[in-house]
Amino acid sequence: MKTEEVVIRVGGAAGDGVQSAGLIIAKTFSRSGLHVNTYNYYQSIIRGGQSWYQVRASDSKVRSQGDGLDILIALNKDSLERHTNPMINEGGASPLGKDGVAIFDQSIKDFKKEDCQYVQMPLGDLASKYSKNALMKNTVAIGAAMASIGVNFEILAGVIRDQFGSKGSVAEENVKAAKEGYDNYLANFKKLPISLKTKDKKYYLISGGESLALGAVNAGLKMYVGYPMTPASSALHYLANHQKDFDIFVKIPEDEISAINMAIGANYAGVRAMTGSSGGGFSLMVEALGMAGMMEVPLVVYESQRAGPSTGLPTKTEQGDLNLVLGASQGDFGRIILAPRNVEDAFYLTREAFNLAEKYQTPVIVMSDLFVAEHYETVEQFDLNFKIERGKITDKAVQGYKRYQYTDDGVSERSFPGTPGNMHNEDSDEHNEFGDVVSDAITDPGLRVESMKKRMKKLNNYIKEMPPTPTYRFDGAEIALVQWGGTQGVVEEVVDILREKGHKVGLVEINRPYPLNPDIGKLLSGKKKIVVIENNYSGQMNKLLRSEFLVKTDLITKFDGESFYPGALAEEVEAILKR
Amino acid sequence: MVTIADYKGKVKPDWCPGCGNFAQLSAISAALADLGIEPKDAVVSSGIGCSSNLPEFINLYGFHGIHGRSLPVASAIKWANEKLTVLAYGGDGDGFFEGTQHFYHTAKRNVDITYIVSDNQIFGLTTGQASPTSQLGMKTKSTPEGNIEKPLNPLTIALTAGATFVARAFSGDALHLREVIKRGIKHKGFSFIDVFSPCVTYNKINTYDFFRQRVYKPETDVKDFDKAYKLAQEWGDKIPIGVFYEVEAKRYEDYDPVISSMPLIEKPPVKLTSEALAEFL
Repeated sequence: MKTEEVVIRVGGAAGDGVQSAGLIIAKTFSRSGLHVNTYNYYQSIIRGGQSWYQVRASDSKVRSQGDGLDILIALNKDSLERHTNPMINEGGASPLGKDGVAIFDQSIKDFKKEDCQYVQMPLGDLASKYSKNALMKNTVAIGAAMASIGVNFEILAGVIRDQFGSKGSVAEENVKAAKEGYDNYLANFKKLPISLKTKDKKYYLISGGESLALGAVNAGLKMYVGYPMTPASSALHYLANHQKDFDIFVKIPEDEISAINMAIGANYAGVRAMTGSSGGGFSLMVEALGMAGMMEVPLVVYESQRAGPSTGLPTKTEQGDLNLVLGASQGDFGRIILAPRNVEDAFYLTREAFNLAEKYQTPVIVMSDLFVAEHYETVEQFDLNFKIERGKITDKAVQGYKRYQYTDDGVSERSFPGTPGNMHNEDSDEHNEFGDVVSDAITDPGLRVESMKKRMKKLNNYIKEMPPTPTYRFDGAEIALVQWGGTQGVVEEVVDILREKGHKVGLVEINRPYPLNPDIGKLLSGKKKIVVIENNYSGQMNKLLRSEFLVKTDLITKFDGESFYPGALAEEVEAILKR
Repeated sequence: MVTIADYKGKVKPDWCPGCGNFAQLSAISAALADLGIEPKDAVVSSGIGCSSNLPEFINLYGFHGIHGRSLPVASAIKWANEKLTVLAYGGDGDGFFEGTQHFYHTAKRNVDITYIVSDNQIFGLTTGQASPTSQLGMKTKSTPEGNIEKPLNPLTIALTAGATFVARAFSGDALHLREVIKRGIKHKGFSFIDVFSPCVTYNKINTYDFFRQRVYKPETDVKDFDKAYKLAQEWGDKIPIGVFYEVEAKRYEDYDPVISSMPLIEKPPVKLTSEALAEFL
């Protein structure tokens, strides 16, 4: 058992309050000035099934859900046996360690015993002193768990009051129930040898979906149109809840095709608008994405990956949509793809996406995944100062206005409806500088070539202005690991593990999958080995890197619907290094 | 003063001589001019098809998008900037095949836009296949043995969906067409106008003569839904045209908590402060 961090898991059925219990624990840690990372393992079911929520906290940066398990709160017998089983089959999660404690209600009997500490408590009896609500026993268990590692009760009480504050006396009943659990544990059981250095520091505890939505708000988002689909819905819900606070028009239309066409219509009319979905919904948007490319309408699309193909695993994570997003829509047009590495990145990259979309007048796709979108972690408070850059726009009448004027950088002045004098047509057909169609009555092969070149050169400046590709412990690295998007935290942890063992590894972190920064070629050149790590079957980024930079790579994939775990991943990398 | 000449586009329409779309282009231009709407404040969003090429041939803000999707684009333009007069335009294939769900839901929302369908009961641009409004038995490239699908009725769909203005017009009656379009644009809420628009090349059944012999303009109470629904079902030797239904109702834009106060485009970006993020602490 590590003493400087704690891993707590709450297990139960859907509807048992697993996630809300996990979030209370996570918030108690974050308010104690600790770093937190969480992991939500759930199914596409409203009641029943088997889900769990893991919280890992430490006084230093917590990069992933982590290995090991110190405290298990088992809300039913199934969870108790499942998470104490040494042969646990939960996508890489560890079983309860032998020094770890399993907290559960004394009504759970006749369970299979393993080598760990069983803390059988009268959770239900203590809870029933305050409420008939069956979920109250969760609060008692949380109190016990917090006592086992010496968390200040007042911080827990504050979190509970905030959580249930709007529900009248329920908040105080829950605080009392938590105290019962807290005191009962201290009176009857041993504290764990874990000591976390709390401090008076405030982090945000926030999910990637919320963070991404806030980034859009900070960028001046005025309209969000999206059809519900896990895991893109967390952003939709946050924005819908705050539409009045942020003065944002939020709408669920009849389908994703409508959603993207609406977002394009609003951007055309001069308003920053965004749509979002998961791969299934994005697949429906594909045709319109190309229209935005052709018509040079700025557009931000949030694509939140889950395990496919098709309906796939609706509540599970994967990075299997890169090929889809790279190739979405017929023909060639410049697109920018951003892939937040973590919750914080989701805020800053999404915010930037809006400036990029207007600066280059082209679609920008922010690719996230279920893990990033739905897990909570602590982040530093965001820097909210942001300069909105809307690119080339004219609100004055221009003599002989050309919407698609050929320019050095390929970008021409937009003019919104309502602007005097600049009436023009924007067209999904190939068109000349005025927007007049050159595909029907008269075709003009030479002009077609010019218009293609105009659109395709727009991203040249973006490539030049891209910030350097982020790296981790890359100085002196002889072996390059490469990750993209939401696997950053766990792979950084693997770098630490391997460095500790003397391997000279460093990490290239790709949060701009397309166009790729040419500096990646330089980072990878001369390395003894390049190991690409992705949450998908075929290694979609691996193929892109090979074709862009002509490098020889090794590939590690995981496609069971769950994130990588640091220990197991470190072993896989080591096996490759030994070859 | 705005005149029809202000709407004259610099590109000449490339429709077949005699196409019903010409009359609609003129009628739309004239209606907008009659209402004193300046070209800078008018937007036409269209899909794909012969008729959908209209934004190329008219002087206003045109958005010639993709097949079937004129309505979501038009809705969002209206929501972004309510001061604009927004029209959606396209054919029966565009609107009643790929665009059906948008048609139904835009009508239901009562978005303040005017949707004009050039209904020629055939696919023209793709050289003559059966469309959703093609008559039973009609022989086309896709139905060489005769169309076995009953045509759908766009007017009853609009009515049941909740459109607050439902009308039918005919390209062979230009003055009437212009008046109906004018009334549709003036109407506050979703206006739907289905226009018989003979395809002189691919539809040899529903010709100008076919409609001239049949259309009539009934007297009706446009506030009476049942009467409108009945009129909409009339088909045979006599086919009614005109405004069937017109009622006042709150528009989507009146209900929405955000855009009911001020057009989105006029709202300054919200200043995000750390207080707004306090819930995450």
